[in-house]
Amino acid sequence: MAKILIVEDEKSINNLIKLNLELVGHTCLQAFDGNTALELTANGRFDLAILDVMLPGASGFDIIGALKDIPAIFVTAKGGLEDRLRGLRAGADDYIVKPFEILELVARVDAVLRRTKAVSDSFEFDDIRVDFDCKRVYKSGEEIMLKPKEFDLLEALIRNRNLALTREKLLNIVWDFAYEGDSRTVDVHIQKLRKKLSLEDRLKTVYKTGYRLEV
Amino acid sequence: MRFWQKTYIFTLILFLLCLNGGIMSLAAYTYRQSVTATEATVTAEQYYIARSFERDHIDLLSAGENASPTLLMETYGNHYKGKGIFLSFEKDGKTLYSDFTDSFSVKDDTLTHKKLDGKRYVFISSSLCDGRYRFVFAKNVEQLDKEFYSLIAVYSLTALAVSAFLAVCLFFILKRLSVPLDKLRSATQKIEKGDFSVTVEEKGRDEFSLLAKSFNSMLHKINEQMVALEADAEKKQMLVDNMAHELRTPLTSIQGYAEYLEKAAVTEENRILAAKYIVSESVRLKKISDILLDTAYIRGNTVTQTPVDLGKLLKDTADRLQPKAQKCGVELLTACDESIVMGDATLLSMLFYNLADNAVKACNEGGTVKLTCADNKAVISDNGKGMTEEQLLHITEPFYRTDRSRSRAEGGAGLGLALCKQIALSHNADISFSSRMGEGTEITVTFTT
Repeated sequence: MAKILIVEDEKSINNLIKLNLELVGHTCLQAFDGNTALELTANGRFDLAILDVMLPGASGFDIIGALKDIPAIFVTAKGGLEDRLRGLRAGADDYIVKPFEILELVARVDAVLRRTKAVSDSFEFDDIRVDFDCKRVYKSGEEIMLKPKEFDLLEALIRNRNLALTREKLLNIVWDFAYEGDSRTVDVHIQKLRKKLSLEDRLKTVYKTGYRLEV
Repeated sequence: MRFWQKTYIFTLILFLLCLNGGIMSLAAYTYRQSVTATEATVTAEQYYIARSFERDHIDLLSAGENASPTLLMETYGNHYKGKGIFLSFEKDGKTLYSDFTDSFSVKDDTLTHKKLDGKRYVFISSSLCDGRYRFVFAKNVEQLDKEFYSLIAVYSLTALAVSAFLAVCLFFILKRLSVPLDKLRSATQKIEKGDFSVTVEEKGRDEFSLLAKSFNSMLHKINEQMVALEADAEKKQMLVDNMAHELRTPLTSIQGYAEYLEKAAVTEENRILAAKYIVSESVRLKKISDILLDTAYIRGNTVTQTPVDLGKLLKDTADRLQPKAQKCGVELLTACDESIVMGDATLLSMLFYNLADNAVKACNEGGTVKLTCADNKAVISDNGKGMTEEQLLHITEPFYRTDRSRSRAEGGAGLGLALCKQIALSHNADISFSSRMGEGTEITVTFTT
């Protein structure tokens, strides 16, 4: 997956971002001040940088200038329109305001990576290969036929793998709107996915929460 | 109507009344004078003619029997007619000679003005030749009327010219005098529209310039107040911005790690890490809220004034801080004389603990922090890393940190010195900082009570 630079002086938040991005399969490098970040960008190659705006040493705006063609997402406590616009004008690809939800962070990182084509749009685990571009799934080299909603559900689970998704969240992502109270739909589709791809061990039910694909 | 216009109209009316009244009475007086003079002349003339006729009449009578007084009268009458004087003679009510076509009665021995054919005459009637005749004398004095009319004409013209001149002069003078008022008015209008940068011209030494002066100084005061208020509002806005930022950081961690625990398949190691972050960040939030409440409380309440021994307070502070100092390898020294000040011992102890704590934090291993006091003055000095002038300017601002990452790592809220300043303020004490980069910092708290 992608190699991501996290620049955030607040250690707890830096670690939080790292833990979550590693869960969905990214590799992370951490910098706790602006100058270290500048050194790292000069020496290494990244697919994405996640930047705090207010940093000791060089600021987030300084670093984004040094990034050149590497996409960047700002993470900041200032959620005002003016700050948002300033960040986007400076060349940021997206903007996340603290406090943020993990799923939001993952989704935005994913969106930016897909937009910049830094990741191959397919995913493999065990003997299963999922091609997101062609919307096809292969198991042991053989194509498994999935209904469109089943495929979307699988995609949502893969993109947020190792994270529990509530039924409501899945309804929101896959069915694109809230099915009030009809979370049985999710359960039915999950059962079908498990059966068709033999995912009983991977696609876990999380107690009182939802479902999690553990890879 | 404007003030100057009112003044103009009233002044003008008053002036015109006085001027015209004055001219009219002058004209009347002049006319009276000339009438009197004319009457005197006429009386003299009548007297002369009467005496002359009496003499001629005596001469005539003595000349002979058939001498006719009527002829004499005709001679006189014809002679004086050419001079504008008309005569008539009567005897026992019978007219002997008369220049007059109409009959009229005139009182004896008085002077009467009469108009005949539109012309003015002065009539004098008297008895003549020891009461033998009644003699009526009339003189044309239409000259008097002519004089009167030309007098009126001249005076009216003069009055008109003077009035017009005055009207024009008064108009411009009053308008000019009201210019400063107009300027004041336009200045107030500008202020009304929110432009406080105006000043009014302060020329001269009259009431208007005095008014302009006080107006300007009032404006100056208002401007100062506005600037102060704006600065205050800006400061408050910055505080709110900072506070939002400071609250969001721990909130992000708490929310994030809680969510992580809820959603991720975590290892035992990561579970403990997440839980630890949640606890430490919650503690930080609590600390921020505590200090904010303390600061608000101190600001809102007057402190109790009890005698406090500064020396003892500093020694206690040093004792409480000793364990932490030892851990950091920092030496704590006290040199305190007894010095009694008025204040709240708990708050003051909080103040000195905070200051000394900061001093210990600023020191590297092997550093020294000194607490001294004498004469209502407490000094806390260290030989730590010191601060730049720029940093010194901001250290008492809420949420300002000289070393952000280190302060956060130690769980600081960035509010300590803001609280210290508030405590010092509430005790009417002056707190001053002096520092040199790399050499250390000295904090002096001077009590005025």
